[in-house]
Amino acid sequence: MFSKPDSTLVIVGHGSTLNPDSSGPTWEHADAIAQSGAFGEVHCAFWKEEPSLRQVLHCVTKREVYVVPNFISEGYFTQTVIPRELGLDGPQTNVAGRTVKYCAPVGSHARMTDLLLKRAAAVAPGVPPKETSLFIVGHGTGLNDNSAVAAKREVERIRALGIFGEVIAAYMEEDPLIAKWDELSTQPNVVVVPFFIADGLHSYEDIPVLLGIADSSPGAASANAAGVFAQNPYRLRGRMLFYANSIGTEAGFAEVILDQVAAFDAAAA
Amino acid sequence: MMDTNAALADWLDKGGRRIGQIVIAKKNDGWELRHADDAAREDLHLFTKSADARPLANLDDAGAYRALKTAPNLRHGWRLVLPDVASVRSALDAFYPAMIGVQLARERGELVPVNLRDTLARQTGMYRVTQRLTDAEAQVLIARSCCSDGGCLKTILWRISPELPVNSLPAEKFTARGGDEWPLLCHEACNILVAAARKVVKGDTKEG
Repeated sequence: MFSKPDSTLVIVGHGSTLNPDSSGPTWEHADAIAQSGAFGEVHCAFWKEEPSLRQVLHCVTKREVYVVPNFISEGYFTQTVIPRELGLDGPQTNVAGRTVKYCAPVGSHARMTDLLLKRAAAVAPGVPPKETSLFIVGHGTGLNDNSAVAAKREVERIRALGIFGEVIAAYMEEDPLIAKWDELSTQPNVVVVPFFIADGLHSYEDIPVLLGIADSSPGAASANAAGVFAQNPYRLRGRMLFYANSIGTEAGFAEVILDQVAAFDAAAA
Repeated sequence: MMDTNAALADWLDKGGRRIGQIVIAKKNDGWELRHADDAAREDLHLFTKSADARPLANLDDAGAYRALKTAPNLRHGWRLVLPDVASVRSALDAFYPAMIGVQLARERGELVPVNLRDTLARQTGMYRVTQRLTDAEAQVLIARSCCSDGGCLKTILWRISPELPVNSLPAEKFTARGGDEWPLLCHEACNILVAAARKVVKGDTKEG
């Protein structure tokens, strides 16, 4: 049992000024960890919401603080924004009398592979994996968030397990485009798992439109956000398509957050 | 390190009864929070868990998302009855994130206001362009975004630069509440203001 009663855990999310769904999973993981009693206290902090990264350390009452980014990939936010806003200069920084330990983001944890497999199985129960093309969808483009790298890494890991007929990385804004899912895949069943930290505009609206399972008029899909997942399976382009929630809504992320704290301690030992 | 719950209990014991748009009342079975506008209403929907605070805080009366929890648009029509100070603290952390911790840091002398120029100078990526915001643009932007009647209820503790205070808002905007009212403090421009500054610099006149 993980027990750090004299330490604070701060989970950092991106947040959104547009909808509460972006920060929702981060709060849920924080609540789960707080209820487990694993830490003396648990806080969240966000780039786009409050508590902000500039406020959160004022809320901390313990001298030892573990910061875990609830982000899919190492990149601009984990390497530039979060350290800058929290005043960190390395893995461990003294900030106003507190020892702040900066952990790796959740998305880089090896357990992501299991969570993706679990999500894929849950969204398409009873569907033979060998007759299924599994898509892991990242954002892509020059956001410097390395999300494409993270998606490719997971695809290689899952492919090596030999469970699915095929496993494919695809992106919203760079090749291979998820919009061409039917050209990229060959199996009769298609499972699509967004490799995002939260459900939001990308998973409610953008990807469904690219898949062809939602109307492309702005707001049409997000007006019925949960509906896009409730209507599985979709029969189109001669295939059976199953569309999953973003991987970050998986409850197992709370354990991954704790694992990243343990990994920090192991590396520091 | 301080005990946040003890500090809040001390304030409540001394008669603390208001934070932002919320009034707090001592009840036989604990504490009750409600919108100050609803003080006399008897038709309020009852909630009894501190976890109810976050969904209550997330949407305004029209069901629109409240990205800024200190915006003066807290929804009406509810009352939240909680058994103890710890659950009051948890609820207030959802209604007004970080505001308890920030005030306690101020009381300890640890809260260092950061002037707007320093905040903008630190920005990278898409927000680096905010460094081109002029002082005149900053005054107009702050008046529009941070005003208490429609923008944000926080008290501004920072200046535009060491030489230049914000002079586009009334003096009370810079004086922290006290006594029976817990102060909502802004020690540094938030990302919402920085994002709005980017729009000004980029000449984007769209609302939002």
